[in-house]
Amino acid sequence: MIDISSLAGPLVNGILWGGLFALIGMGMSLVFGVMNLINVAHGDLVILATYFAFFLSTGLVLRYSLPLDLDPILSLVIIVPVMFGLGFAIQKFLLNRALTVSAEAPLIIAFGISLIIQNIALKLWSPMSRSLMPPYALDVFVIGPLRIRLVYLIAFVAALIMVFLLREFLRRTYLGRAISATAQNKKASHLMGINTGRVYSFAFAIAMAVAAVAGVCLGLIFSFTPDKGIQFLIIAFGVVIIGGLGSMVGTLLGGIIMGLVMTFGGFFLNLHWQMLLVYLVVIVVLAVRPQGIFGR
Amino acid sequence: MEKCAQEISQGPLLKVSSIDVFHGTFQALWDVSLEVKAGEIVGLIGANNSGKSTLLDAISGLLHPARGKIEFEGQDISAVESFRIVELGITQVPEGRGIFPDMTVLDNLILGSYTRRARSRRRENLENVYQHFPILETRKKQTAKTLSGGEQQMLVLGRGLMADPKLMLLDEMSLGLAPIVITSLYKALQEIRQRGITILFVEQNVRRSLQEADRAYILEVGRVTLSGTAGELREEEQVKKAYFGV
Amino acid sequence: MKSIISGLERFMKLTIPGLGRWSIPLVVAIVVLAVLPQVGMPRAWITYLFQFFMILTVANMWSLHAGRSGMITLCLAAFIGLAGYTMTIGSYFGIPIPLGIVLGAIVAAVFAFLVFFPVYRLKGVYFAIATLVLPQILQYVFLIWDPVGIPRIGGGAGYAVRGAMLFSRVDVYWMALAVAALSMIVILVVSNSKLGLGLGAIRDNDNAAASSGVDVFRLKLYSFIIGAFIVGLAGGVLYLRSKYIQPIGAFNITWQMTAILAAVIGGLRIQGGPIVGAIIVTILYFWLQGYPGYSMLAQGMILVVIMLAIPQGIVGAIGRIRGTRVHRATLQLATGIAGRIKGKGNM
Repeated sequence: MIDISSLAGPLVNGILWGGLFALIGMGMSLVFGVMNLINVAHGDLVILATYFAFFLSTGLVLRYSLPLDLDPILSLVIIVPVMFGLGFAIQKFLLNRALTVSAEAPLIIAFGISLIIQNIALKLWSPMSRSLMPPYALDVFVIGPLRIRLVYLIAFVAALIMVFLLREFLRRTYLGRAISATAQNKKASHLMGINTGRVYSFAFAIAMAVAAVAGVCLGLIFSFTPDKGIQFLIIAFGVVIIGGLGSMVGTLLGGIIMGLVMTFGGFFLNLHWQMLLVYLVVIVVLAVRPQGIFGR
Repeated sequence: MEKCAQEISQGPLLKVSSIDVFHGTFQALWDVSLEVKAGEIVGLIGANNSGKSTLLDAISGLLHPARGKIEFEGQDISAVESFRIVELGITQVPEGRGIFPDMTVLDNLILGSYTRRARSRRRENLENVYQHFPILETRKKQTAKTLSGGEQQMLVLGRGLMADPKLMLLDEMSLGLAPIVITSLYKALQEIRQRGITILFVEQNVRRSLQEADRAYILEVGRVTLSGTAGELREEEQVKKAYFGV
Repeated sequence: MKSIISGLERFMKLTIPGLGRWSIPLVVAIVVLAVLPQVGMPRAWITYLFQFFMILTVANMWSLHAGRSGMITLCLAAFIGLAGYTMTIGSYFGIPIPLGIVLGAIVAAVFAFLVFFPVYRLKGVYFAIATLVLPQILQYVFLIWDPVGIPRIGGGAGYAVRGAMLFSRVDVYWMALAVAALSMIVILVVSNSKLGLGLGAIRDNDNAAASSGVDVFRLKLYSFIIGAFIVGLAGGVLYLRSKYIQPIGAFNITWQMTAILAAVIGGLRIQGGPIVGAIIVTILYFWLQGYPGYSMLAQGMILVVIMLAIPQGIVGAIGRIRGTRVHRATLQLATGIAGRIKGKGNM
């Protein structure tokens, strides 16, 4: 018999992890919704942001040790704009062009970008497993039988904030509306005077900005290596699939479901089974209901 | 926004000169020429696949002619990108309505005023749209996809107006709508013309077209086969025989 | 001189019925390559060519899927790893290795068959990512499952291949050659058959093909399974050579990347594209072996540049040039020079 109260741990943690996964999935959902492009380099770009935060907080790169000691969350002030700019450039110079070449070109190019990022990270920071370790990294809240890590809470709150910000942006600003419009009807958007190429670039840039936040939260919660990108790509994909396209709230729920799958998988089974379960869930959802549980 | 009708002295508002337009390797338009003068309502008549939509898309900059020229207000716009063409003052209301289904009526309309020029006149234009189509104001918080066919058509017409256009292109406005609704739409069109906006519309229904338009062009398999004033065309033997009653 | 050139051209176009163009040159190439180790080819070249054969095989099969059948598959690693494991596990249960390799290919094909049904309906990118998940799943399956029961070697929880020592470098070379040759034959046969025609139609337009009576599902299924089988053979041979297999390496995405790179560089939809691509990628591989880490980086960058600058691949670009004035001028120049030499040398 399983003690019910011991389930509270995985339940709460699963929901909180869901925040992180939602953050990772949000960027992908935006890009996919607007330009029907699955960025297979998404996971790697998130990890790039994580490494960037690592560099800024430890000063370690190659064989050097620079005197840097920036708190990861504060470093977002630098990382978000950088990722925004990087995203804008990638879309404008690479992916926009790829979209005109052929249907498979964006996928292949994203693959190439994934390779490039993984190997840059490998070169600069070696295959060693790393973590973001500010002083509060191991702080834990104790509430009754529950032990909740502070960083989980941070990620969850960050997710809520980003969902809110994104939703308001998409609804209330002209650019946000243009992004939504392009996602819903591309031809009509052209006829409204919307420069869809520019819209794509901004959408990708915003997705990368969110990925930056996701990256920092990820580094606080998990350890990371240059090749972890694919795992988070698949998780992000699962989040998007479950949550359905076009709904930021759906992405949040999708993240929570994925989070719960992971924590309960880990609770009842072992570590390997945990990931296996996550992947199986993705495949099953794809096979049964590709438009997502909450999708249009 | 009251606009004075443009003086005809400067030449036509829109001039299409002998354009060929391709979809990939497939040629859709052959040596097509037409003119629209300021303040006119001109009809483009033809059956399916005659190239009507292609012509509108070429004018709107979604396609570019391989040969020939398109001029607007004297400027060559043949190679101009679609979003700039909207800024220049040409708006297209596409076939199939083209609403943004998951946005509210109001949001759809606001999007219509996306260009810089239109944004500055957003409030006035919105008032005008509500005057032409009061039902849009009633339903302004509703999601666009919940509107009826006729209401959706009004929505996209209104949205087109929000772009502060000088020339409006309408693609198959009456598709799938009841005659009563169509009549009221065309009535609104006449009102819109009173504001000084020039109109070029595409229609399959010949009688309706010749009723509403000042002049018309007949498009068959990518070529202009006939043109003239509505009165002239009504007398044309071919038109009488081939199309009436269809 | 001219007659030599035209004779060469005619030779190149000789065909074996059913196999289409290039088939005679292919046979000649195979024979030559098979004989090379016996006539004193330097040992290093055995390694180079082995790698080339492997890369050619996976590039061919990936282009069969992505270039000719209109489905971007990202589960190459699944087939390779699965076949490799089958052979390895079989080696512990008394199954002779050559049989184990074939068995591995069959297992890969069966896996492909089973997996195809749930994912087939998915469109484009959804399909691609679904296939991407498969090797990941298998990786964890093999981390968990231990059918052999002996204590596992190394940090990666892997197995050694029993009896791999009995096969010499040259033996493995010939096996690789055979697999690569098989992959070329498959491509030729498919290109010149009804299957190829149907696949081409599907690739260009799913719906149009379907309404023309093409059984989209079955053709895609065949293509998928054939690719899985051949890649499975390659996987078996690959792990025979490595003599060791472990979950994380077996299902690693590297081979998939390499296949995509080779296919794209050469020309995704062109016959002969994968060959050129494989040659280039092999050269790159060995050239950059001295600089660990830069190899993959270079591959990534080349992939991006090629897709944007020469999306039709090198062979495709050459094909474009062939019809142009540059080509005609070059040809004139060449025959002019040849004529001069002939005149001077009293041939």
